[in-house]
Amino acid sequence: MVDKKVVKNVKNIIDGLAMHQNPESVAILEDIGTNSPVDEIREMTAKALVQKNMPESLKVVITNKGKGINDMSTGVAMCTINELLSLEDKTEAVRILEDTVENNSDEEVRDNARSIKALMALS
Amino acid sequence: MADLLSISSIRERIFNPTKHEKSVARSSNPFAQTSFKGNVLTADVFVSENQNNEKAQNNNGISFTGKLKASALVGSIAGIGDRIKAGIESVAAFANRIKDNVVNCWNKLNNTEITFEPAKQAISRAGERMTDALHSMFEPGISKNQIAKMEDLSVARQLFMDNSETWAIQAGLRA
Repeated sequence: MVDKKVVKNVKNIIDGLAMHQNPESVAILEDIGTNSPVDEIREMTAKALVQKNMPESLKVVITNKGKGINDMSTGVAMCTINELLSLEDKTEAVRILEDTVENNSDEEVRDNARSIKALMALS
Repeated sequence: MADLLSISSIRERIFNPTKHEKSVARSSNPFAQTSFKGNVLTADVFVSENQNNEKAQNNNGISFTGKLKASALVGSIAGIGDRIKAGIESVAAFANRIKDNVVNCWNKLNNTEITFEPAKQAISRAGERMTDALHSMFEPGISKNQIAKMEDLSVARQLFMDNSETWAIQAGLRA
């Protein structure tokens, strides 16, 4: 059984890092959050990275295999996709998705990016 | 005629030539190839006094003419030898000093290595105390505003790492 206080702390840390303007916050979220064995932590981290809506943070959840939209957990991937579709300004996300479709070396990552790009165009 | 020689005298000159010749010194330095204070003179410093005078007049350079000056020069050369010797001795002393320092340094390193374990434990204890202090500081709970306003994100990184590890352990995902 996970202590509620620990869950609350992790949530607040991720939210605080999502609000932080320092680019180092993206590195912390990527290093610790996206590599966590806990699905909930990876899900919260992916959402925070999308909410930052910065090129560096969006690249983490779009172009990396096993992270964000390419996460092995369907729940984490779907949550990230929902967050991308909820963005008010989708310009940067669409640009990174197009770049991923054209240039990424991994076929699965390219296919996922193509699907999300189509969804973004429809939304 | 005074210059006219008798036949007998001519004969004597032919058969005993050295007896009547004036001795002409080939070198004015009787001590050439000898040593002054252990320094062998390789050049005849006493030769051609007239030539040296001419050279000195022509070049306005330093000339060591005369036996007194020459001996002074030899003495100075001998002095240079002493100084070179003293220099060599000081270099040897310097090298010895460096060697001693290196040996002392090596001994100090060995001593440091012997005492390294307690120092490592002390550093480890200090790190644990810092982590404890960090967690006691956030004992009531971590707020997102605290994290968002942090200038040093290494604290946030440490808190995130510790709490996510605790979560993973409590969820049974980490041993």
